Amino acid sequence: MMFFLKLIQSIGVGALSISVGLLFMGIGRKITARIHRRYGPPAIQNFIDVFKLFSKNSISHGFAYDLGIIAGTSALLAAVVFLPVGQINLFPANSSLIMILYLMTMAYLGMAMGVSSSGNPNATIGISRALTMMMGYKVPFAAVIFSVYIFARTGSLTNIIAAQSGGLLNWNMIRLPFGFIAAEIALQGMLGEKPFDMAIAPAEIASGPMVEMSGKYLGFGMLQHAVGIFLETGIMVNLFMGGAPNVWIFVIKQFELFFIALLVNAILPRFRVEEGVSFMWKIPLLLGVIQALIVVL
Amino acid sequence: MELRPLNVSNTNDKYKTYELFIGPNHPGISGNFSYVLDMEGHKVANVTPDPGLLHRGFEKLMERRLWTQNLALIPRICVPEPDVNEVAYCMGVEHLAGIEIPKHAQYIRVIVLEMARIAAFLFSFAGLGGSTGLYTAPNWSIGDRDYILDLFEWLTGGRVYHIYQYPGGVKKDIPDGWLDKLLELLDYLESRLPEYDNLIFRNPILQKRTKGVGYLPAEKAIKNGITGPNLRASGIKWDIRKAQPYLVYDELNFDIPITGEGDAFARTLQRRLELEESIKILRQCANQIPDGPYKVKIPNPFQFRVPAGSYYSKVESSKGEFGYYIVSDGDVKPYRVYVRGPSYSVGLYYANEIMRGMRIEDVPVWIHTMDICPPDFDR
Repeated sequence: MMFFLKLIQSIGVGALSISVGLLFMGIGRKITARIHRRYGPPAIQNFIDVFKLFSKNSISHGFAYDLGIIAGTSALLAAVVFLPVGQINLFPANSSLIMILYLMTMAYLGMAMGVSSSGNPNATIGISRALTMMMGYKVPFAAVIFSVYIFARTGSLTNIIAAQSGGLLNWNMIRLPFGFIAAEIALQGMLGEKPFDMAIAPAEIASGPMVEMSGKYLGFGMLQHAVGIFLETGIMVNLFMGGAPNVWIFVIKQFELFFIALLVNAILPRFRVEEGVSFMWKIPLLLGVIQALIVVL
Repeated sequence: MELRPLNVSNTNDKYKTYELFIGPNHPGISGNFSYVLDMEGHKVANVTPDPGLLHRGFEKLMERRLWTQNLALIPRICVPEPDVNEVAYCMGVEHLAGIEIPKHAQYIRVIVLEMARIAAFLFSFAGLGGSTGLYTAPNWSIGDRDYILDLFEWLTGGRVYHIYQYPGGVKKDIPDGWLDKLLELLDYLESRLPEYDNLIFRNPILQKRTKGVGYLPAEKAIKNGITGPNLRASGIKWDIRKAQPYLVYDELNFDIPITGEGDAFARTLQRRLELEESIKILRQCANQIPDGPYKVKIPNPFQFRVPAGSYYSKVESSKGEFGYYIVSDGDVKPYRVYVRGPSYSVGLYYANEIMRGMRIEDVPVWIHTMDICPPDFDR
């Protein structure tokens, strides 16, 4: 009975992450449109897009392609289940950040397997750029996580949130400011927003990984991005903004982070891939290391 | 079995390079045209321009149409800036037919040309923004270009293709209140320039992406017949409006800015600086345009025989020298018309040289900063 209850709750959290992610994408399109001096599509446009895509015929490129794309989405959905979302914390004893990060990496690798098997060089270049960029932002992010772990003396998100209770001044954002800035820059890379969106550069590699995706596969790609936004901003809220007492406040905090990413996205062009990695290994890594040194010493 | 020595790389050509298409359906290309790239890793090993998709036989079609009928055909040669075709063609026909057009019409032509130039420069900002991922730039500049198209619509009835020039002048006079609206628009465009500067030209990442990319030395620019802002960005002060003035350009006060670095950033900055000069020219035209007839009457098109002879008329377009070589045998139709588009030499020939060794990220930046317009060489 307990198992089924957890299963239903997990499905609920997955659905929540998809809905919030798609809504964020829609609102993001609207905000970006206003910066562009356009009206932009309605905020629910991404829901409409996903429904439309799943009702279309799709072209498969073989078993590895199907498996890779489904594995990518499901790995992120699995990661979301372990994320404390406001008062919802399905596995409080197992909310290890390291496990969530592993599952996130699996999502990228699944995507890499899928799109590389499509045989399109644009897709392969795109995913190689995505993986290179991942190397770029994971290093400063790891430095930040190290600081948080040492500071909170725990590896569990549940305990990290508990350690920040008692008001704004207890948030890691205030107590570990350098780490927060480093993680915020790394988040920009994780979300794939400019200047770190070289993986999907349309003018260079025709949207990269998405180039061979059609119908349901593109729908899965969009869902993966939606869950990714929810998960990545969610980790940041739990790590630095003290989690949240309920889902609503959690989503509002997530949106604040996403909003900053959108604004930066609107005014910057994209780096070349090596410039992006070298930037990540210079400024955010430096900030992350300074933070770690402050915490350790 | 003998093993391959360690210092000899795998020379199996089948796996050494792979093919990548930039175009015809690709966000990085500027029209219905394609570059087939042989890539080695992230670098271009060889490039094959692949024109032909836009070929409609315009030059041949012109031989079968009356002198005035061709005016509905030729604007289609350049979508971002169609007016240069009309003006260059009309100037050539007028020269052969010995027609002197009124001053008022000449001013109107300059106004149309300069408005089209500003619109094309805004279009090129959009190209750079699109190729580097700075999507606010295309949205802003295409939005501002639309205000220019609104004025074109009021003046000519058409937004993109105007078919407004005619041998002997223009088809209609400027409507009442149009010039005031033009001055208002110029004030608005000028007020937007600092925002463009902050967004595009002072943007550190954009500078990083464009500085040093597609470097074009001045001697190579001359050797390859590259003209216009691309030549001036390489440091050569050559502009047909100053060197061989046509219409009323010799009565107007404007400068030819020179950037001189010869890279992608310099080429875009060159367009930005020239945009300001075009605003200056338009203000002068709006203030000093004389009254008078807007055309001289020419015979009925079926009787309009242009005396035998040949003439090469050229105008300075936003991309460089746009020329029409017109041959008449004294008939009601041209004997031969040849169009010289500014992108011809750069898009088809110089591309082979410059793109080799270029990284895939820089290819669209190069295409858009050279402002390559495929119909220039494929029509």
